[in-house]
Amino acid sequence: MSEASDILNRLLSSEVKGDLLVLFHKNPGIIDTIDGVARRIGRTGNSIGNDVKDLVDLGVLERKQVGKHEAIFLDRKRDGEVQKIIGNYLNSMKKKEG
Amino acid sequence: MWMVRVRTGISDLDKMLGGGFMEGDAVLLAGSAGTGKTTLALQYLVNGVTQFGDAGIYVTFEQLPDQIYRDAKNFGWDLRKMEEQNKFRLICTSPELLLETDGGESILDGPIKEIRPRRLVIDSLSHLEMFVPERELRKEAYRLIMYLKTKGLSSLLLWESPQIIGNSFSVTEVGISFLADGIVLLRPVEIESSMRKAIGILKLRGSDHDKQLREFEITTQGIKVEASFSEYEGLMTGSPRKKATLGEAIDQFSAAFARKEKKSCKFLYRFLQYIPCRLLYKNC
Repeated sequence: MSEASDILNRLLSSEVKGDLLVLFHKNPGIIDTIDGVARRIGRTGNSIGNDVKDLVDLGVLERKQVGKHEAIFLDRKRDGEVQKIIGNYLNSMKKKEG
Repeated sequence: MWMVRVRTGISDLDKMLGGGFMEGDAVLLAGSAGTGKTTLALQYLVNGVTQFGDAGIYVTFEQLPDQIYRDAKNFGWDLRKMEEQNKFRLICTSPELLLETDGGESILDGPIKEIRPRRLVIDSLSHLEMFVPERELRKEAYRLIMYLKTKGLSSLLLWESPQIIGNSFSVTEVGISFLADGIVLLRPVEIESSMRKAIGILKLRGSDHDKQLREFEITTQGIKVEASFSEYEGLMTGSPRKKATLGEAIDQFSAAFARKEKKSCKFLYRFLQYIPCRLLYKNC
């Protein structure tokens, strides 16, 4: 499986990830705790923990220790790269189908 | 001594402030919901960028940036473009992260290094109440204000006053107003059955300022400050009434006198002795 389809599968693997991606893309200035981010999509910190971890592993989100709290924010550079990889992949799929 | 002012770019408000806010001051912008706090605060930052070359940071706790970008666009302010130009940052966070005390750097340190702002807005300081016990609130607010001052920022701290209208007015109930260098009040007033908006400067440490309440409107270009409510009194109590002229006062007295007839004769005699004749000739 190519890197692009792997990324795409992981991004689309849960509804929470979709909500998080939409939230951070619309609001790239968010830097918040897991609980704070969860509140902004109407969920709880516990229910989004695994999805946040997955997005951090993908490099789309970044973690930073701020005192005793952990802050999460969008890694704009890596996010741009991921979007480019997915875009290229989708374009190549279209060409294949065409 | 000549003092450096940070102009809001709203000319009539700057006149009220004696030229603008004092540089490095933390000013409380208090008002109830819908009075225009966010609009005025954004305009302060946008004018900073467009008119005075000052970069600015807007920190929001509750309202999502997406909504702020959209609302700003309605006034013709393209905040995303200003961010791309490294003149503006919109940070959305939680008070507990902003107030983190366990060492390490503040979440504001990065953006401050990146764009070197002169202005900053916190929307709103009253949100700290949700995360900090009341007895700690003043201490935490003080720490935050001192951080902003140390960084040389001229800050506007928004405060949501639950008191919309009425005669038991207080800006904050936890003593935050004592920490702020200045207080700008936005207040709805009901006059002749219509809701109008008033702006006033309650405090400006180390500077003279306009003591009058002025009317303001939120136009398509932002806040526009207009004339004072000079014909009215009692605006702060929530029961404004038109001021009576001396002629009107005498008419009212005469009407009352006509009703009281003889009983009032002695009182009228004393009243006429009391009012200087010159004043009567001048105004009647």
